[in-house]
Amino acid sequence: MQEFLQLVVSGISTGAIFASLALALVLIYNAMGLVNFAQGEMAMFATFIAYTLVNAGMSFWIAFPVTMVLAFGGGILIQRVVIRPVERAPVLTLVIITLGLATLVNGVAGFLWGYVPRSFASPFSPDSVDLGGVFISYRDLGVIAVSGLVLLAIYLLLQHTTVGLTLRAAAHHPEASRLLGVHVSWMLALGWGLASAVGAVSGMMVAPILLLEPNMMQTIIIYAFAAAVLGGIESPLGAVVGGLLVGVTVNLAGAYIPNAGDLQLAFGLGIIILVLILKPNGLFGRAATRRV
Amino acid sequence: MQRIRTAPPRYWLVLLVVIFFLGFPTVISSFLASEWAQALILAIAIMGLNILVGYSGQLSLGHGAFMAMGAYISAILAHRYKMDYLATVPIAAVVTGVVGFLFGIPSLRLSPLYLALATFALAVVTPSLIKRPADLTGGVQGILIVQPDPPQLASDVFGAVTGTAMTSDQWIYYITLACALILFWLAWNLARRRPGRAMRAIRDGEVAAAASGVNVAGFKTLAFGISAFYAGTAGSLFALSTGFISADTFPVSLSIQLLVGAVVGGLASIPGPLLGAIFAYFLPIGSNQWVPSQTWLPDQITSTVKNAGPAVSYGVILILIMMFAPNGMVGLIRSGYATLDRRLRGAPDPKTGQMPPDPQTV
Amino acid sequence: MTALLELENVRAGYGSTSVLHGVSLSVLEGQVVSLLGANGAGKTTTLRAITGGVRWTGDIRFAGRSLRRTGTEDVVRRGIAHVPEGRGICTELTVDENLKLGSHLRRDKAEVAKDYDRVFEYFPVLKERRRLSASTLSGGEQQMLALARALLMRPRLMLLDEPSLGLAPIVVRSIFEIIRSINQTSDVAVLLVEQNARIALDLSSSAYVLEVGRVAVHGASAELQDNESVRRSYLGY
Repeated sequence: MQEFLQLVVSGISTGAIFASLALALVLIYNAMGLVNFAQGEMAMFATFIAYTLVNAGMSFWIAFPVTMVLAFGGGILIQRVVIRPVERAPVLTLVIITLGLATLVNGVAGFLWGYVPRSFASPFSPDSVDLGGVFISYRDLGVIAVSGLVLLAIYLLLQHTTVGLTLRAAAHHPEASRLLGVHVSWMLALGWGLASAVGAVSGMMVAPILLLEPNMMQTIIIYAFAAAVLGGIESPLGAVVGGLLVGVTVNLAGAYIPNAGDLQLAFGLGIIILVLILKPNGLFGRAATRRV
Repeated sequence: MQRIRTAPPRYWLVLLVVIFFLGFPTVISSFLASEWAQALILAIAIMGLNILVGYSGQLSLGHGAFMAMGAYISAILAHRYKMDYLATVPIAAVVTGVVGFLFGIPSLRLSPLYLALATFALAVVTPSLIKRPADLTGGVQGILIVQPDPPQLASDVFGAVTGTAMTSDQWIYYITLACALILFWLAWNLARRRPGRAMRAIRDGEVAAAASGVNVAGFKTLAFGISAFYAGTAGSLFALSTGFISADTFPVSLSIQLLVGAVVGGLASIPGPLLGAIFAYFLPIGSNQWVPSQTWLPDQITSTVKNAGPAVSYGVILILIMMFAPNGMVGLIRSGYATLDRRLRGAPDPKTGQMPPDPQTV
Repeated sequence: MTALLELENVRAGYGSTSVLHGVSLSVLEGQVVSLLGANGAGKTTTLRAITGGVRWTGDIRFAGRSLRRTGTEDVVRRGIAHVPEGRGICTELTVDENLKLGSHLRRDKAEVAKDYDRVFEYFPVLKERRRLSASTLSGGEQQMLALARALLMRPRLMLLDEPSLGLAPIVVRSIFEIIRSINQTSDVAVLLVEQNARIALDLSSSAYVLEVGRVAVHGASAELQDNESVRRSYLGY
């Protein structure tokens, strides 16, 4: 039982990482009805920036917000340069473009930092805390706390600020929003910026667990897809709940199914396929209204 | 103005290409022939993807998985059950095709975006799925494939032309060429007859297609099946040509390479996959050979460019092509040819009445 | 009095189909003008041209400045509230959030608060349903929400596209009363597109009748109402 609880907590911790990336996917999906296949690579790239800053002597806790700001700017830049010119293109064209973007960002990271995996020091203590016989590592708690705070901040921004309101309005009702003076195109750019910043959090949280290299996010993005699909791809809340569920499931499966090892990733695929076939709107999604 | 799609194929051009590919190995090294065989294999797989994406409008980002399947079916049959490798190629093709067909049934329920997502996940997971039944697939150790010697007759003919005996690589090249010719011919027939028209109608609008009596579900799954059949053939030939396959032979980047080829060559066209394959296959090889030859570059840069070059250039090219030339190389050639033709005939620019080479497909 | 809005020989259309073939009209400060005509005459397109929803040629001037090459968002920011066909309610948002979208560009907090009070006085039902999703409102309530939201933008000109569409006659009457009151108390000009010519002419001081993309008749509303032949041939009552 204790082992089970420990696994659940560390599952929530990995789940929080998936949730951040899944939320990034949902933000862009809501803004333009598109799954951004480059989300994971953008997060990886941001993590390399954080790594560079920390290596230059910056404290992690300063590098963290600085990286988020840079990622935010990078997201806006990508939207303005690459996505905006093709905003009205068919969705599959956009998908191929984001895939090209993923490949490009991956290659540029490889060019700048090489393919040799690097260790990224965790900002949290390696010790554990004993909660009535259940040992929970500070690292897990730290990841949960940081991701939780970021997700909360995004929630407050979206639900309780004017910018958040115009962002949601522009995403769901671009025509009506324009007539209310909302600069829809800039709102889309803002959506990309936010998504990029939230995604960067997942990269910075996962890098100490995995090793930092250009392909680091390739598996994480699959879990994030699974989380977003499970939660209902247009629901921010769903992305978070989906992330946690996927994290816990994968963690438990990895521990209790003998020799799961490599197959953990296949669980991610399994979740995606099962949800898409059995409940395509996910847990929190509304019946799909296709955007035109 | 004549519609290009229904224009008669330029038979002399096709003949020229066939003669070129027949004669090419007699003047290049056996090693180069093996590289061209791989490019042709890629062309077969890309043609499969083209049928799915270009003609039926369903985006698969995981076609490397079907190639892996074809490769392992052949390799296991030949290695474990000692079958003649060439006899395993059609088996691999048909089995993969059936699996693809079955895969297409649940895919009918997915929106195009979700299909892309699911197939991408499949591509990422493929290597770890292969590793699992390690005693069957050889896991990370992989399977060695014995490359067949050329039969006496072929070797004699080849020897008579070149003066040297035919190598296994050259023989595999000709096997591949034969398969490619048959499969391209089949694709051409498919595209211009009823199935091709039905698929294009579905791509351009499912509701309208269904209203005009097209069996939407049937043709969409059929496209999946045919597409997987091509990928399976390519995978089987790929294993034969490389002589060794393992879990890491089929990374997600293979699926991306296929997509690059399909998009760069030109979707919904028959010559497109061939051009795209040559491009997608030789671009990384070319840059890998060119960059190290630049002695003025520091070693470290040379090695990173070697590693990162293909990804960067694939990424840039995918983005640029989708932005500026969604009909790929074939589209560019066709519009260039049409402009030239118009200039020569002194015809006015038919800005409005002009028939584009092919509607944008994705 | 100077014209607040002036259209001069405006041509517009969708793709290669042209809908407006040279429309000229003007709305004075604080004036209510009706834009009438049959379905497909180009009434909605005229409004969409003003707020940049369709490409147009000719000239459109608002408060003395041309709106040429001005994006929808910026036209709106100059002081034009456009309640489009179908009302443009954000059904994914709550009633309150819809209202906030109306006032989100304003910095005069105290005035905004006053406007909210006024809006809730006109439409008490919106106050009751502030927290509900806008999708739960009835058609009439959605029209009220759209008007309220437009009012909160504190525009100099409101473009209303068939506020009576799909509403029960009693609801239509009360909505038009409110439009009249809005116009009188806050001196906002209104360009009103309507199928229901009688009620529109009652409210407006001047009117234009469009026929296949051209102004067929225009004049003071009272004159058009009294002119039997105009009523028969264009207004259908």
